[in-house]
Amino acid sequence: MTSIAELTGPPQATPFALLDEESKREIRRALLQAVATPGYQVPFGSREMPVARGWGSGGLQISLAIVGRHDVVKVIDQGDDEGVNAVNLRRLISSSTNTEETTEVNEATIVQSRHRIPEDAMEEDHILVLQVPVPEPLRGVERDMKELARMHAEADYSKMWVSLYEDKVRNGVITQTTGYPCLVAGRYVTATTPIPRWDIPRLHQSEFLTLFGAGREKRVYAIPPHTDVEPLTFDDVPFEVESADGASCRLCGSNESFLVESPGDTPTWACSDTAFCRRRRTK
Amino acid sequence: MGYAAARGGLSAIKSAEDLVARLRDNDPSNRLDIDQFTGRLRLLVDRVMGEAGLWAPEFAAMALRQAEGDVIEAVHLLRAYKSTLPRFAVAQVLDADDIDPERRVVPAFREPGGPQILGRSTDYTARMLKPDTRADEFTTDDAAQREVSSTEVVTTVATPEMRRMSDVLRDMDLLVDRRMATDPEPFDITRMPAKPPAPRSARLSTMARAETGALINQWYRNILGPDGYLHEVTLGEVRHGSLPITTTHPATGNEVTIGQFRVTEVEAIEDLDGVEEDRGSFDVGYGMCLGHNERKAIAMANLDIACHRDGSKSSLEQSILMTTDGLDSAGFLEHLKLPHYVTFRSMVERKVAVRRARTARTTDEMTDEMEVQS
Repeated sequence: MTSIAELTGPPQATPFALLDEESKREIRRALLQAVATPGYQVPFGSREMPVARGWGSGGLQISLAIVGRHDVVKVIDQGDDEGVNAVNLRRLISSSTNTEETTEVNEATIVQSRHRIPEDAMEEDHILVLQVPVPEPLRGVERDMKELARMHAEADYSKMWVSLYEDKVRNGVITQTTGYPCLVAGRYVTATTPIPRWDIPRLHQSEFLTLFGAGREKRVYAIPPHTDVEPLTFDDVPFEVESADGASCRLCGSNESFLVESPGDTPTWACSDTAFCRRRRTK
Repeated sequence: MGYAAARGGLSAIKSAEDLVARLRDNDPSNRLDIDQFTGRLRLLVDRVMGEAGLWAPEFAAMALRQAEGDVIEAVHLLRAYKSTLPRFAVAQVLDADDIDPERRVVPAFREPGGPQILGRSTDYTARMLKPDTRADEFTTDDAAQREVSSTEVVTTVATPEMRRMSDVLRDMDLLVDRRMATDPEPFDITRMPAKPPAPRSARLSTMARAETGALINQWYRNILGPDGYLHEVTLGEVRHGSLPITTTHPATGNEVTIGQFRVTEVEAIEDLDGVEEDRGSFDVGYGMCLGHNERKAIAMANLDIACHRDGSKSSLEQSILMTTDGLDSAGFLEHLKLPHYVTFRSMVERKVAVRRARTARTTDEMTDEMEVQS
């Protein structure tokens, strides 16, 4: 009887960028389709990664599928390069590819992120990879997946509009917090991951390519450069980004970045983008 | 490329990894050998292989040891390992009737075609905790004796051919015929995500890899819970045994048998009682998973027929396809431990905005009232 050992040969070292070549190619094919149909959720055969699903496995698969030997990778979580999950994902990418790491946007070619777009401007030679927990923007208004597929196919977003209208009437403001639904390239309503509303204007007509990866839900989608990204809102209800009422960063003094609060008797504020904040201080 | 920033995150991760490894590997007890898992914790190893969708007993044992017995973690290790491997061959389609049975139970008939084999089962064993299991172990002589007697049972009983109950029912003209003339390629859930409406092969392979507890719960919430898409079935077959796996040799092009693997297979006979259904016939649901895991295969067969009868009218299919994978559910549950302060900040900001809008509205209303009064 021919043994498995004879068929497979000696065990091989873990491949470049962890995944076998066919898998990476498959992800790249899905990404090409995603770029060609901005905002459309492309299904792909999401692999099980060394990190758990829900922990950035989709973003990680994209980064590993597109990374080359000369790329420089930056990974942030909540804007922080030193968040433990950011560190963990970055070391997985760099240790399996020998690519260089950085915290500086201008040095990076691939920026993988959870929940933030870096404050610093990204250019056409940057690719932003966003980790997506829930790729379906309409799930809040419809649970049935067959109906969701129909709504997207027919661009029937009336339920979403009604829900935004009811929200405004009941609460006086639109209470959607992060992951604000946007119409991409005038066609698909798209979940903007849970990035804060603060970051949404920077997706509109951006210079850079944004790739979204949802590993658990097995979808990728894209916002190519120079694409319209319009947050869903009414003509007479302006889209509102987060505001912090005149607060500024206790470290760098910035009042033009997304600030997070440290609660206490006298709450203080700090930039969520730590690399941006540090550079302002050392300048 | 200067990356000199503080690396607090990295040192914390490394310390955690070190702590886990040290406390596990330096425990004063004897180190567990791989063959102890495969030999003495057979059902645990089988469960991990089934949920991972990978037949590899030694690797499953290694994963369990590394994961300190955490089943989902062990399944994760196996699946992530599988992601690094290329797929270099596809097995030949196998006939489940080629099973070499270690166990076979047919609740639907007293004397089915072929044997009823109770086999290795605790089904009828009193669940009495035996604190000193050593006293319960056989002596070598006892063991040898038992070996002989169990061999005798198998060899001396003249057993007719084992006929599966769905075939028996078909011969009795009591079975709805759902056989297709075409033979479509099975849906490969590892290469393409299944979403409703999905082919039956997608549902079956999803359930074959599902987390065992999740599948049992899907079944039970349909029995006692709010959903109620299924009722109790009669089991036609519960089998456990080995099947050969054959593939085409990449060099010679010949068919080669590359090994054996064990499966649990179940047929669930459903009494069709729906208004639109054929009341004069039965239908059959099917379950099969890697290893010895009867609970899982029974739940699977029940849910398979329930899903077919439902005709994807309800949410049952979506529940099965989307919510039963152990890595999906556990991973997403545990991601709640990750920092969420950016999203939470955005929520706090909207709470403040709602209150502000509420105050503004009240003030507006008061102004309006005053204007009306004046």
